[in-house]
Amino acid sequence: MPRLTDIDGNPVADRYELTACLQCGRCTGGCPVGLRSPLNSRRLLYEAVVREDGDALVARDEVWDCTACRTCSDRCPRQLDPATVIREIRTLKIESGRIPSTVMDALESCLKHGNPWGRSRQRRTAWAEEVPVRSVEDGHESDRLWFVGCTPAYDPRCQAMARALARLFHAAGYPYTTLGTEEVCCGSEMLRLGELGLFEELLETNREALRELEVREVVTTSPHCLTALRTDYDLEIPVRHASEALADLAGAGRLPLIREVPLRVAFHDPCYLGRQNGVYDAPRQVLSAIPGVEPVEFDRCRERSLCCEGGGGRMWLEGLGEGERNAQRRVRDAADLGVDAVVTACPFCLLTLEDARKTTGLEDALEIVDLAELAARSLDDGADGPGEEEGS
Amino acid sequence: MNLAVFVKQVPDTTEADLAVAPDGRSVRTEDAPLQLNEWDRFALEEAVLWKERTGGALTAFLVGPEEHEDALRRCLAVGADRAVRVWDPALPGQGPCAVARVLRAAVGNEPYDLFLCGAQAADDGFGLVGPLLAEELGVPSATLVSRLEPLDGRVRCTRELEAGWGEVVDLDLPALVTIQTGINEPRYVSILGIRKARKKPIDLLGLGDVGLDDRRVGEAGSRLRVVALSPPPAGREAEFLEGPPDAVARRVVDLLREKGGVL
Repeated sequence: MPRLTDIDGNPVADRYELTACLQCGRCTGGCPVGLRSPLNSRRLLYEAVVREDGDALVARDEVWDCTACRTCSDRCPRQLDPATVIREIRTLKIESGRIPSTVMDALESCLKHGNPWGRSRQRRTAWAEEVPVRSVEDGHESDRLWFVGCTPAYDPRCQAMARALARLFHAAGYPYTTLGTEEVCCGSEMLRLGELGLFEELLETNREALRELEVREVVTTSPHCLTALRTDYDLEIPVRHASEALADLAGAGRLPLIREVPLRVAFHDPCYLGRQNGVYDAPRQVLSAIPGVEPVEFDRCRERSLCCEGGGGRMWLEGLGEGERNAQRRVRDAADLGVDAVVTACPFCLLTLEDARKTTGLEDALEIVDLAELAARSLDDGADGPGEEEGS
Repeated sequence: MNLAVFVKQVPDTTEADLAVAPDGRSVRTEDAPLQLNEWDRFALEEAVLWKERTGGALTAFLVGPEEHEDALRRCLAVGADRAVRVWDPALPGQGPCAVARVLRAAVGNEPYDLFLCGAQAADDGFGLVGPLLAEELGVPSATLVSRLEPLDGRVRCTRELEAGWGEVVDLDLPALVTIQTGINEPRYVSILGIRKARKKPIDLLGLGDVGLDDRRVGEAGSRLRVVALSPPPAGREAEFLEGPPDAVARRVVDLLREKGGVL
């Protein structure tokens, strides 16, 4: 039996220089699921080097527990990349065809419907019915594309993120266009689940749409789309998260945040916004621009933020066995801080924290709210006052 | 063992707004993406499992236009050695008898041991092509097979009957089985797998190639003709249950008991 090889037959140990691993334990020590999952990057790296039977590694199901938060790779003193080795093993599982049925459904839905939620393409813009949204399908052209994302477009809870953002952009007279029903999944999670071929198809579809529109800047609702478009797509144009756009607008005095929102809030840094894209200050700038909001910090904030376990395709995988989920710990910490709300800026964090709020019995004690949702509460737009658009 | 699997590409109507087409005899499906018929996924997986277990070869057959070829690419990606697509301008609109006749002709004289079909198709749901094809082939058949085991020169089929009953039948080979969903766990077919399968050729056969003339296929050759389609009338009663969750849950259980058929 050969050692572990990637789908092209290259030994994984050579490709990722795994013989350089010191077995120092920094990767495992930072793993957010290490306490509850048999997933152990030290063991995987070690066995990829020494184990004669590579197939035995591919048979291991714990690689599905990885949230692709990249803490292990960030912490490695030898600049090795355990997170990508885990993804390679996922790819081998995908190519074998033997994968959890929930993942299979999400992947097949992406291919068929352009989103992982099993919803039709025609309903992608259903969220936008009662808010002012500018889409290419309605003839709105702009060299700035707002990439809405699948979860904000389809998930009933997360649609509020997209609606709030639409109201804020409108109030600020911020020009953009969306792809409407032509937008397809960014592929961030599909790539991290290991479905490389599917990721390439999605990337090509979106890249082609961007090229046709001659887009010069992209703004994303989700930090996961941000990571895909900014890092994985290689677009050569700036890709920014909505919190960065809002921070700019607030800084320029263009966001009419007028109403008092008297809430004590803690910001939960999403892994894909903070650790993976270095965006820490923008959401905090937006918070401080909302009158009445009193921001406090989690003990684990910014670079040390606690992963909510929603990344790396984990939205389509069963939870890990026994023990407290990170999101549950997070809302308990928030309750201890005495805040009224946990604010975040990622649809997956929003969903996992909402679940945790319910399962910990803290449903009445605090709320989970998206940054744009919170800012939109401060708008004095009656519903929606007309926004003058810059340059138009 | 020489295996043959018969597949169909159907619209995924889970989220589609269904409407009767202007001809009054079919369903508008332009907005629904195409996918491999659910029962055929299980038939394909069963065929591949048998090929892996017994060796031999697997051929996949499909009657349909070019945009249905994806179903065959999937078959090739998971282990079919050969794929055959039959199409002709005379074929649309044909009923199960004509489909079975076309498939029989496409099989030709190749000596297959086991023919596998899905038990029914998600679009028209007749469940007839399998048994009709067995008649055309002159081989024994079993429908709604939920378990398939090899015996010496035969196969043992467990059939799913009504109300939770089962039936076990042994068929002499060659034989045809129609596969019920749930018999196995179909594997995922990756995009890279499908891409690699693009290198394998798909044989395209017309009516002339399989020795049929257009009076025996399509609408002309069908014994069943859809005359009209209409949506079911809207239900009259809908009751909204309100109150605390435990009371609503209790009421739901009572209602399910009262109306019967579920609990």
